[in-house]
Amino acid sequence: MADSRTPSPAAAGPPHAVVRHVVLFGRVLREGGLEVGPRRIADALRALDAIDLARQEDVYWALRQTLVARREDLETFDRAFHAWFLRAATPPPLRPAQPLRTAAERRRVGAPAAGVELDGGEIEVGSWSRDELLRKRDFAAMTAEEFARARALIREIAVGRPRRRTHRLRPDDRGTAIDVRALVRASLATGGDPVVRAYRSRAHAPRKLVLLLDISGSMEAYARALLLYLHAARGSGRGVETFAFGTRLTRLTPELGSRNADTALAAASSRVVDWSGGTRIGESLKAYNDEWGRRALTRGAVVVVLSDGCERGDPLVVAAEMARLARQAFAVVWVNPLKGHPEYEPLTGGMQAAYPYIDRLVSGHDVASLEALGTVLGGIVRRHAA
Amino acid sequence: MRTGFIYSPPMVFASIDELDSALAGALYLADRGLATALYLSLVLEKPLLLEGEAGVGKTEAAKAIATALEAPLIRLQCYEGLDIAHAVYEWNYARQLLHIRAAEAGAVDEGELFGREFLIRRPVLEAIESEERVLLLIDEIDRADEEFEAFLLEVLSDFQVTVPELGTIAARQRPYVILTSNRTRELHDALKRRCLYHWIDHPSVAREIQIVELRVPGVPERLAEEAARFAAELRSLDLQKPPGLAETIDWVQALTALGQQELQVEQVHATLGTLLKYHDDLLTIRDETLAQLVATARG
Repeated sequence: MADSRTPSPAAAGPPHAVVRHVVLFGRVLREGGLEVGPRRIADALRALDAIDLARQEDVYWALRQTLVARREDLETFDRAFHAWFLRAATPPPLRPAQPLRTAAERRRVGAPAAGVELDGGEIEVGSWSRDELLRKRDFAAMTAEEFARARALIREIAVGRPRRRTHRLRPDDRGTAIDVRALVRASLATGGDPVVRAYRSRAHAPRKLVLLLDISGSMEAYARALLLYLHAARGSGRGVETFAFGTRLTRLTPELGSRNADTALAAASSRVVDWSGGTRIGESLKAYNDEWGRRALTRGAVVVVLSDGCERGDPLVVAAEMARLARQAFAVVWVNPLKGHPEYEPLTGGMQAAYPYIDRLVSGHDVASLEALGTVLGGIVRRHAA
Repeated sequence: MRTGFIYSPPMVFASIDELDSALAGALYLADRGLATALYLSLVLEKPLLLEGEAGVGKTEAAKAIATALEAPLIRLQCYEGLDIAHAVYEWNYARQLLHIRAAEAGAVDEGELFGREFLIRRPVLEAIESEERVLLLIDEIDRADEEFEAFLLEVLSDFQVTVPELGTIAARQRPYVILTSNRTRELHDALKRRCLYHWIDHPSVAREIQIVELRVPGVPERLAEEAARFAAELRSLDLQKPPGLAETIDWVQALTALGQQELQVEQVHATLGTLLKYHDDLLTIRDETLAQLVATARG
């Protein structure tokens, strides 16, 4: 990157040098993850044309306002601008230089403990009933081969979405609001007498859904399967936001947007930096509430937390942040894989702290329970009365 | 970009500085970044998307530039469920029905009934049909449904709307367009691509003092300084909703009305509700914390 820069603007005419600079700068930004298309470059050039190039501050603003479209990208832009236009010796790395593990390595990290054998596995059964058995099998106890088949099942789970009434009106014969526009048209034939009745009613749309997945060490056996579930949920339509957390919060919505589950999971895996580490549920919820709750993402949404509730931080923080979450959310559902065990009771510190704010506690240790979760979500019609 | 059929008058401001002083004339102190954004939006004839925390003055900026341009401001406040009938046009059904009744039976033809005199113009159509060049403010676009955003995209690229009964109505003069968003959701890339983007930060203390002095006439100098520092302190704390510029102005107005010359703990406590809007935040900022903050602000 560094040696492709032109040190001598004198070689070309000023406008030419500017064009070249901006085009190369656009390339630097693209490497930093910004979406800089030819249209933006053209805008930037027009903007530079309109300002005084001798004023560095104006150059900065003109480029920033034409090349950046998201607040998240401002920091990258600033670093690139300083490196490029303010002539730092070498451009600082645009991305953290830590070596990225390959997706395959990541998958291995999250793999279920080896050596767990299927107890009646050798019996020859038809494919349908094999799937039936698989649906009830704890993710933690699955062999690699079983998990591969379970993946396909999770992918097919039609994620139930709670619905909400919108303010939009749609034509509906059984509606209660009169469709005046249709009425007026029909009245033409009757000399102004409103005879033909047309009605409208409020349309329904999926309610916002926010999924927060615990990917810390204690969730290792379930994180992969649940991440697949997050991907399936993301594919269920608009208004789904997905996050992973362990010691920090990572938004995965863009990564899980790919239709191909493998691509999506690989992208999500490389985004998360705290796989199988410690758990700070309270801090992570706080990060969510601060950044996303404040932006009103939670308001009116059904929030699903997928975690075993093993908190290493202060349970008081968990309680405070769950309270904040519940105040804004339409409903809070907690998915705890440990609940699949018959003798489970919510005794862990984090779980106890969170318990008063949960509308519905469900398991999530096998395919069948994830299907049930879909039914639970689809059935939420009243606020905090799941 | 199709510009050929729309008449664009020459640029009103020759430089950023000129625009900046025109804004100051409209009682709005913009920093260099915002002034540049507004200037470029006029020069490049592109809509400007303003984002920032609630209360940093996004809507105010649009109003000020409208004043500076001497252009009428047409505001479209977005909300969930906003549809074409409330944003663009609607037929005046009551008048239509009366018209049919008033006419001899069978004498009304459809073309007459769906004529311009029965059309109710909502902000978007009003902006497009205007003889004068107007400033169209699309406020809090993030609150509207995504379907509406897609529709808006069409309007912003062609500046024309189609009323099925009347045909296509194209703008005579391209309106200036400013959009604001509080980022309750991410906007579509396609929409963003049409716009210049500017993120408004909270103002610096020095600028906030200037703004407070401009917006609260007769405020004691010392009070303005201490209040701006106090607000900046609050923003550095971990609050659910840090105060915006609008809140600072409200607060200083309250303190001035109470005859305050400087910050005093009791009066600050009594008026804190104008600055902090969450109960949790009010619980955090009290007693020693409050006294400490006031002491820091007083320097």
